[in-house]
Amino acid sequence: MTDAWIKPQITRRNVVLYLLAALGFVLVVIRFAGGIGRVSNLNDGYPWGFWIGLDILAGIALAAGGFIVAGMVHLFGARKYHVLARPAILTAFLGYLLFIIGLAIDLGRPWMIWQALFHWNHSSPMFEVSWCVTMYTTVLLMEFLPVVFERFGWKHLHDMWHNLVPWVIIGMLTLFTLAMSGSVGWTVVVFAILLAWEVSMRTGLMQRDAQMPTLLVMAGIIFSTLHQSSLGSLLLIIPHKLHPLWFTQAIPIFFLLSAVMIGVGMVIFENIISARVHDRKPDTHLLAGFARALPYLLGLYLLLKVGDIFRTGAAEYLFMFNSVAIGMWLELVVGVLIPLVLFMTPETRESERWLLWGSIFVVAGGIINRLNTVITGVVVANWAPYHPSWMEVAISLGVLSGGILVLDFIVRNFSVFEDRHALAR
Amino acid sequence: MKAMLIDTTRCVGCRGCQVACKQWNGLPAEETVFFGGPGYQNPRDLSGKTWTLITYNEAQVGDHYDWVYGKLQCMHCQEPACAASCPTSAMEKLPEGPVVYHPNQCLGCRYCMLACPFQVIRFDWFSANPYVSKCTMCADRVLSGQEPACVKACPTDALVFGDREVLIAEAHHRIEDNPRKYVHHVFGEHEVGGTCVLHLSTVPFELLGYRSDLPEKSLRRWTEPAMKPIPYIVVALSLALGGVAWIVNRRDKRLVEKWTKQVKEMQ
Ligand code: SF4
Repeated sequence: MTDAWIKPQITRRNVVLYLLAALGFVLVVIRFAGGIGRVSNLNDGYPWGFWIGLDILAGIALAAGGFIVAGMVHLFGARKYHVLARPAILTAFLGYLLFIIGLAIDLGRPWMIWQALFHWNHSSPMFEVSWCVTMYTTVLLMEFLPVVFERFGWKHLHDMWHNLVPWVIIGMLTLFTLAMSGSVGWTVVVFAILLAWEVSMRTGLMQRDAQMPTLLVMAGIIFSTLHQSSLGSLLLIIPHKLHPLWFTQAIPIFFLLSAVMIGVGMVIFENIISARVHDRKPDTHLLAGFARALPYLLGLYLLLKVGDIFRTGAAEYLFMFNSVAIGMWLELVVGVLIPLVLFMTPETRESERWLLWGSIFVVAGGIINRLNTVITGVVVANWAPYHPSWMEVAISLGVLSGGILVLDFIVRNFSVFEDRHALAR
Repeated sequence: MKAMLIDTTRCVGCRGCQVACKQWNGLPAEETVFFGGPGYQNPRDLSGKTWTLITYNEAQVGDHYDWVYGKLQCMHCQEPACAASCPTSAMEKLPEGPVVYHPNQCLGCRYCMLACPFQVIRFDWFSANPYVSKCTMCADRVLSGQEPACVKACPTDALVFGDREVLIAEAHHRIEDNPRKYVHHVFGEHEVGGTCVLHLSTVPFELLGYRSDLPEKSLRRWTEPAMKPIPYIVVALSLALGGVAWIVNRRDKRLVEKWTKQVKEMQ
């Protein structure tokens, strides 16, 4: 592949994205010059709000497609979905980069982030999330690198990558275990297990995937499982603030399960949309096959969530007329019930249009759920309620628009959707 | 462990403690404004410049209406939610009692503020290099064997300082000696796992703006079950996923072998 670069262009279709990105950029400058209070309605009673909800909780769930598809294709042997893998990995990687930008805007002193590497606090879910996310972003970068090597025809780098990545992963997971448990015992166990797999693959005792180092895919699944659920654990420390409809000891499980739903929905959504933008025909049949998992996931979620609401005795709140009840109904109906029906029905599942709509519902419902969990559901006694300011929203939209523009550029210039694996051995 | 007992029935609202706190901790003055609501309270709320605040509450005491004073400050929880939640251990519980803040470690993520059940941590919203702030129980004084500045300043002994167990016993004594004067509850004895700032009051604690619906368990009891399993999950997934990869790849290799054989036979 030695084609010339396709430069980014401002067109009628994407001018809005450029405008939003520019506006966001100006507001971010104001925020860094004058403090978070200049642009947001966050306050001492509501220190977390729209940014955490959208950029972090929702954003990371939206990017869950990366580990799901990589795992399915390169580990669970569902190879027919391999065309979905690259776009999913790329979106996830960009998604995590956007998340890091979003986090940097929300953190008061983002330049101190390295402190988390040295002051270990095993009891803090935030500590775990920050480690996992750093590690997983590195994993995604490594998963995406072959596309770059292909673009420039760097065969020897690709071979080197294939050779080195497993060792890097062993190092990362071992260090991670030490940081999380503070125990040498656990660390040694994890190290030994990973080493055993890698050695059996190198000695030919165990077969390996031709394209992706198995340990790399494993690490992606492990880190994702952990932090997708821990994002929910963040809220376990506020039983006194989070409304009982959302507060439950099982919140990490709900976050993980819904991240998988949202991730799958996002893969479908993104494939159809980017096919339309780039004037291709989406492989509806393949996507419909992929979507077959959704009714099970959505059904399970609905069952567990409703069951849990009754278990914790929060059901009475469902039948009141207030913003909390409306919020919960909205996320369940939009994000779970409607798509459940759409994806269960073969006729709608096989049609491009309804696939798109179904995935939009899943994704929208997921975003509503995350926003509810940190905004609608959080009630601080004796404090005026929080509503995001237009500038908070504009900053998030600006970051997102910038991300979409970068994604578009990469898709046009690298073989993301073709999946040629030109250099694979 | 050291603690502080606040007997709000002895408080006369002089705010000497508020001033002493500012002096000892070098905190600047607050520009104050008139606001509706609790009459003479000044300033309106805690802030980066005001780490403790006497609240003015109008309440029915016996048969008449009267001022009842409360004292807002960090409660120095025995198992602080702020310290449990901080990703960089910038909030630390000292064995002597105080919960202290290490500003240089702080990222400004404000998770501690979300977690704090008493809503006492404040953030520099209008600074390009923001920190959080809260009462430190004058940890520097406490560690050198003195009492906190506010306690030192209190002219009516509404504030006393000492060992936590001793103060709890003292508080219960006061209630027993004067059962009509006090609400029969030492606020802070059991709330969220117990705090090192204990309160006595003559009116229900809600009237002073305290939350009476806090759980007795420390808030960590909810996060712990989610954090403990992490190493187990890493190990379980490492084993299980490796096993899956083993099976899948062997299956694939067999398939390929079968196909090649079939192709050869056909030729
Ligand atoms: S009152 Fe709040 S700030 Fe003080 S120790 Fe408890 S959780 Fe931390």
